[in-house]
Amino acid sequence: MIDLKRAFARFRRSPAFAGFTLFLFVVILNILVQGPGQFFGMRNINTLFSKNMPLLLATMAMAVLLIAGTLDIAIGIQLALVNVVSIMVMQQWGVSLLVGFALGMVAALVASALCWLFCSVLRLPAMLASFSLIYIVRGINVLIMPNPQGRIAEVFYKTYDSRILGFIPFSAVFLILVLAIWAYLMRTKFGRSIYAVGGHPRNAFAAGIDPVKVQFQAFMIKGFITGLAGISLTLMTASGNPLQAEAYGLRSLSACIIGGLGFGGWGSMASAVYGTGFLVLIQNAVYYFFDLLFKLIPGFTVTSYWQNLVSDIIIFLGLLMTIVTAKEQREALKQGFVKQFKGGDSVAKQG
Amino acid sequence: MLLSKAEGKMALGQHVRVFVQSSPARMAVIISVLLFAITVAINPRSLNLNSFSSILLLTLLLSFASAGQTMVLIGGGLDFTVGAVMSCAAILTTYIMGGQDGNLLLVFALAMGMGAAIGLLNGFCAVKIDLPPMIVTMAISNVVTRLSYVLTAGTFSGYAGPAFVESVVGKILGFIPKLTLYALVLVPLVFYLLNRSRFGRQLYLMGNNPTAAQLTGVKVNKIRILMYVFSAMLAAFAGMIGAAYMKTARCQIFDEYAFSSLVAVIVGGTAFTGGIGSFAGSIAGALLMVTLSNGLTVLALTQPVRNLVQGIVMVLLLIMYNRARAVRQ
Repeated sequence: MIDLKRAFARFRRSPAFAGFTLFLFVVILNILVQGPGQFFGMRNINTLFSKNMPLLLATMAMAVLLIAGTLDIAIGIQLALVNVVSIMVMQQWGVSLLVGFALGMVAALVASALCWLFCSVLRLPAMLASFSLIYIVRGINVLIMPNPQGRIAEVFYKTYDSRILGFIPFSAVFLILVLAIWAYLMRTKFGRSIYAVGGHPRNAFAAGIDPVKVQFQAFMIKGFITGLAGISLTLMTASGNPLQAEAYGLRSLSACIIGGLGFGGWGSMASAVYGTGFLVLIQNAVYYFFDLLFKLIPGFTVTSYWQNLVSDIIIFLGLLMTIVTAKEQREALKQGFVKQFKGGDSVAKQG
Repeated sequence: MLLSKAEGKMALGQHVRVFVQSSPARMAVIISVLLFAITVAINPRSLNLNSFSSILLLTLLLSFASAGQTMVLIGGGLDFTVGAVMSCAAILTTYIMGGQDGNLLLVFALAMGMGAAIGLLNGFCAVKIDLPPMIVTMAISNVVTRLSYVLTAGTFSGYAGPAFVESVVGKILGFIPKLTLYALVLVPLVFYLLNRSRFGRQLYLMGNNPTAAQLTGVKVNKIRILMYVFSAMLAAFAGMIGAAYMKTARCQIFDEYAFSSLVAVIVGGTAFTGGIGSFAGSIAGALLMVTLSNGLTVLALTQPVRNLVQGIVMVLLLIMYNRARAVRQ
C-alpha cells in the first residue's frame, strides 16, 4: 500500500503527469460521449491510430528536439517533403515505392541537417530560423511536384489500414519502433548527454560534452522520426501533395507543451504521446458530441466550423490547465521559450 | 602574410557587423534601396509611379501592423495574434459595411472593442496566468481564426464602403496614396506613446530590466497588459485599412502579417530581449520586406522560387542581426 502511494507520488512529480491527467480526462470524455463499446471497438481504435500516426510521430520528433533544447517548427512541411520525394521517385523513375521511401527518408535527414546548421552551428534563434526553413522547404516541394498527383499501389495502403493478429493496428508498428529505439538510446551515453545539453549547454560543455555534436545527433534522430511520419502520411493519404501537413509543426509543438514537455532537459517521450492523445481525442469527442446533439435535438444544425471552434477553445483551455498540472515546470518552460526566441542565454544586451 | 590577410578579413567582417548593428534602421533602408535598384536594373519597366505608390501603400499597411508588435517586443513579450486580429477586423469591416459608408464609425468602434478584448485576453494569459507569450498568443489566434470562420461560414462577406476604399487607395497628385493621411495621424501617435509618454518610458524600462522597473515603482503587470491591448487595437486598425485596400475580405486573409510584422520589427533593430528598439526602425524594416516582395513579383519568379528566395533572405537577415554567442565564449 505504501509502495503504491510512493509510486504514485513519484509519478506525480514526473514530467508526464500533466499530460497524463489531461489524457485521462479526454478518454473519459470520449467514453461518456460515445459509450465504451464503441470507443474501445477494434475499428475505432484502428482508425484513431492510422489517421493520427503522422501527427503522433511528428510530435515525438519535436519532443527529441525540445529535450535537446532546440526546436524545428518546419517539421510539418518536411512530412510533405518526404511524401513528395517518395511519390515522385516512384513515378518518374519507375522504381518501387520502397525505394521512394528510402530517398524520402534521406530528404528528411538532409532537411534536419540544414536546420541543425541554422540553429546549432550558426546559432540563429531556432524559432525564427526554422520558420524561414518552412518557406525554403515549401519552395523545394513545389519545384519537385508542381501540383497534387500520384497514387500508390493498393497493397500498401491496405496493409497500412490492416490489423496484425486481428487487434494490433499496423500503424502502431511505427510507434513501437520509435519507442523501442528511444528506450535503447536513453540507456546510452547519448541519453544522458541530450538532457545535459538541453538543460544547460554551457555547463554541459564544461563537463566535456560537445553541445553541437549532441544536437546534431538529436537532429538526425528527429530526421529519422520525421521520415517515418512522412512515410505514414503517404500510406495514409495514398497520394502526393506538396503543400499538406504544414500545420503539423505548430500542432506538434502545442501537443508537446500540453503533454508537459518543457524546454531543454525536461520531459520524456511519454509526454509527447499523451499530448498528442489529448489533441486528437478532444477533436474526436467534440465531433461525437455534436453528433449526439444532432440526434437529440431535432432540427439542430450548425456548420463544421463550430466543431473546430469548440475544439480549439478546449485546446486553449488545456494550455491554461497545464498551470494547475505542471506548476513546477512553468519557470523552466518560460526560460526555455525566451531562449528559443532570443537565441542563446547570453545574447542579452551584448549587441 | 597569410595571417595578416586573415586578420584583415575578420576586421572587415567586424566592420560590417558594427555598421549593421549600430543602426539597423539605416541598414534596412540601404538594403531596400539596393534591392529596388537591382529590381529596376533587371526590369527597367518596373520603375514607374504605380509601383512607387504600391510600395508606399503596402509599407504603411505593414508599419501599422508592426506598430503594436514593436511595443510588445520592447516590453519583452511577443504577440502572434496580429495576423488573426487583422483578418478578423477586416471581415468585421466588410461584413458590417456591406458596400455602404454609413456604418464607418460603428465599424471603427467595434473593431477597436474587439482588439481591446483580444489584447486584454492576451495580456491576462501572458501576465496573470504567466504562460509563455508565444504559445498562448498562438492558441488565442487559432481561436480568433476559428471564430471568424464561424461568423462568415468561410466565404467572402460583403464589401468595404466606396468612400472608405477611396480614402485609402485614392491618390494625391497621382501617386501618393491617401493612406498617407492616416499615417500622418497614426505614426505621430505611436511615436508619442513610445517616446514621449509615461507609458513609453516605463515600457522601455520594464523591457530592459523588469525587476529594476518594479523596484522603482513601475506597475509592471499593468504596463504589460496595456502593451498587449495597444498591440491588438493597432492590429485591428490595420485590419480595417487592409479591408479597404482589398475591398473584400475572407478568413485568414492577413494571417501572413503575423510573421511578416515580426520580421519587419526585428530587421528594424528591435531586440527580442526587450528594452531596445524604435518604431522608425520597424517602418524601415517594413519597407525592406515590401521592396523584397515587390522585387520578387517584378522579376516574375514562379511561386516556389519566390518561397525559396524569401526563406534564404530571411536566414541571411537573421545571420546579420541575431546570432547568439558561441558556447565557448
